[in-house]
Amino acid sequence: MDKHLTIPDNDKGITAYKIAAITVLIAGLALFPFVITNRFYISLINEMLIYGLLAMSLDVLLGYTGLLSFMHNAYLGISAYVVGLFLIHISPSSLWLALVAGVIFTSVVALPVGWVQVRTGGLAFALLTLAFGMMFHTIVWKWYGLTGGDDGLMGVPNPAITIFGWKIGDSGDPATMYLFTLVIVALCYLLTRRIIRSPFGAVLEAIRENEERAAFIGINVRMYKLFGWMLACMLAGVAGALFILYKGYIGPTTMSAFAGAGVLMMVLLGGLGTLWGPLVGAAIFIYIQDYISTMTEHWEIYLGMVVVLLVLFLPTGFVGLGSYFKRLGKE
Amino acid sequence: MGGALSTSVDITLNSLVLGGVFLIVATGLNIIYGLSRVMNLAHGSLYAIGAYAGYTLTTIGFNYFAAIVIAPVLVAAVGLLLERTIISPMRKRSMVYTLILTYGLMFFLDGLIKQSWGNEPRFVELPAMIKSTIPILGSHYPVFRLVTLFIIAGVMTGLMLFLNKTKIGIILRAASTIPEMVSCLGINMKHVHIGAFVLGCALAGIAGTIAGPLTTIDPLMGHEMLISSFVVIVIGGLGSLRGAVFAALLIGAVQTLAEFFITDLAMVIVYMLMAVILAFMPRGLLGEGRFE
Amino acid sequence: MEAFLCTEDLCRHFGGVTATDCVCINIEHNGLRSIIGPNGAGKTTFINIVTGRIPASSGKVLFQGCDITNKPTHELVKMGICRTFQITSVFKDLSVFENVRIARQARKGGSLKIFSLKKHLREVTEETWNILERLDLQNLAAEPAKNLAYGDQRVLEVAIAMAGTPTILFLDEPTAGMSPAETRHISDLIQGLAEDISIVLVEHDMDLVMSISDAITVLHYGSIIAEGQPDDIRSNELVREAYLGKEE
Repeated sequence: MDKHLTIPDNDKGITAYKIAAITVLIAGLALFPFVITNRFYISLINEMLIYGLLAMSLDVLLGYTGLLSFMHNAYLGISAYVVGLFLIHISPSSLWLALVAGVIFTSVVALPVGWVQVRTGGLAFALLTLAFGMMFHTIVWKWYGLTGGDDGLMGVPNPAITIFGWKIGDSGDPATMYLFTLVIVALCYLLTRRIIRSPFGAVLEAIRENEERAAFIGINVRMYKLFGWMLACMLAGVAGALFILYKGYIGPTTMSAFAGAGVLMMVLLGGLGTLWGPLVGAAIFIYIQDYISTMTEHWEIYLGMVVVLLVLFLPTGFVGLGSYFKRLGKE
Repeated sequence: MGGALSTSVDITLNSLVLGGVFLIVATGLNIIYGLSRVMNLAHGSLYAIGAYAGYTLTTIGFNYFAAIVIAPVLVAAVGLLLERTIISPMRKRSMVYTLILTYGLMFFLDGLIKQSWGNEPRFVELPAMIKSTIPILGSHYPVFRLVTLFIIAGVMTGLMLFLNKTKIGIILRAASTIPEMVSCLGINMKHVHIGAFVLGCALAGIAGTIAGPLTTIDPLMGHEMLISSFVVIVIGGLGSLRGAVFAALLIGAVQTLAEFFITDLAMVIVYMLMAVILAFMPRGLLGEGRFE
Repeated sequence: MEAFLCTEDLCRHFGGVTATDCVCINIEHNGLRSIIGPNGAGKTTFINIVTGRIPASSGKVLFQGCDITNKPTHELVKMGICRTFQITSVFKDLSVFENVRIARQARKGGSLKIFSLKKHLREVTEETWNILERLDLQNLAAEPAKNLAYGDQRVLEVAIAMAGTPTILFLDEPTAGMSPAETRHISDLIQGLAEDISIVLVEHDMDLVMSISDAITVLHYGSIIAEGQPDDIRSNELVREAYLGKEE
């Protein structure tokens, strides 16, 4: 092969070894509900997958574009409310239509917000995500007539899961819903992985590395930041649709600043800029949360403390821990 | 009509008081950011700690005015501890990590507040001498709010005198523009960073203590204040004192008016205002902001 | 003849300080123009305005007859106006190859192909290798930019700018902090480039400037005090005064 057509890259891309690992992992997760029929564990893993998708979408923004969003959960929430309202008021049986409506509506909201945010620098961007996130939280919380306010949105119907008119199962059944979530999250992961490795992804990385230089090689920085933001919000929208289908309920706490800190912690736990790291981070986080919140009501203290310790001592997350040990082994 | 006049007097004075509290909190944030490039998201929690400290001091028998002096000192001490243990190691790291760290710190402190004081709202008992109201243009305005207004004016004047007239203050101001020069003069930048952080925390503490009797004290008060002071900083322009004064009064007025007429969505209006201003004036209303 | 790039009464004030004071300059197609002057003469400010890093207070910048004053940077790059920075500005965590490749891609197009792979942009890859070979960086291609020696980072800085296929290239003190050997390497490089494109060089190394420039402009307190061939500048009284102070 002509040397001039190869790209020297430390990332080997997708190797046979990686394909095998991903296949085994997905197959293992797919078999899970047939081996362990305990509903509690099925829904725990389901939640890990949904939050994994949300954490991954935040990683696209934070780890690849270098933009910090404090309340990425807001966009999960918006989509979940829209999908829920669509199923309640418009069409109780159109699963795909509801999902598409959720993602489109989330994008429509995210576009003007993103447009304002990318006009400012990195710090103001982060502060604005917090302000807008809190605004959405307040709206959802106070608009009792539409969202049910504090009580949340209840009585969301369970549409049948169909593919090209062929019914596969009911979204009310935990095992079916779990498999559906697994397929969608896996697809989103593969799609995002591809996008991140595309020429478009390379532009995002250049912006993360050096915004000013990126502008001086001819990149329209604001425009690409907005594209990165939109990609992250649309993925969060997909996560939101899965969330409401699996829970059948959403309340304003899902959109709170505190829940947003949780998503940030998932990304940090797993490791920035790795895509699969945040998926693992979300699994660890959901497990710990489930375990600790039964033992103490002051879960906030521990969450805050772990975030502080992670940033101080393990900023690369568990993925970074792996390469750290590798380096230790070499020396 | 006397009613309309007294209402407008109430609204004007309330706006000034609320704007003043915003101003003190936002100035604290501005000082810390200007001198050490740390955007402290736990600032609102320190404000809440100030309010709770004031509450506890008055319940164990301290005079309200004594509490206003002691509580900020306690908050400043907490600030000193935080700066030495977790903020200073972050100074060389990227801004994103500092933001995430102080965000974690915010929840940690909020959790501690909930554990120590519980979730239920608290009220500060005021001394009898300022409990009364005085008539101003047909309105019966609470005396303590006027006292609060004087305290705010006093704090800001004191701060200005400190920054403009004392040697330490002038060093601090110089350090915010050219840190290299100041460290060349043989001044230890480490001390400047500590000083700025502690001063900022003390301001948050003062604001919290005087805001205690104005509202109910609850664990969420810090979050709301954090966001309001961001709005002030964003609209006024980061690092601009003139901008902060202007923005604090504006936001104080908008929020007071909005709460008077459309209770629930007051904050939404404020956010919208901020978004519109930012969209067209990214460096703040006066164009003096420096976002990096 | 119409100038390739020229400025008309270009000014820039910072508060009360005038960093660029009514500068009118004509830069010809091809050739090497140096801008020199004592520290604080406004050389970098001038480049910053022309390349769109900071807005002008007043005046105009014309490029091939078009008004390009205060245009966004990325549009200027698309017109062929590229620059390097005085303080090395590269993509630190990306490989040397990727540093140049992304610059090539940004200029050539294809950044919106979200489902293809980087290697599918075959021309971009090929041309990146050509640039690396021309600047003798090909052996460092896989190395992250932050691991490079300082001199190599300066060369990479030029490589990134070249990837934008400039028709006019602004070099802001490319030899700052370099050893004599490295300076020679860069100087050969600049001379090679000047055969094809127009180069504007800001530089403190007088030997370098005098030996390679086709024309020199001298700035002092933001204004042009002299302009001409290296020999004219060498013997110019005003320039001597600006650098050495007035002899009493």
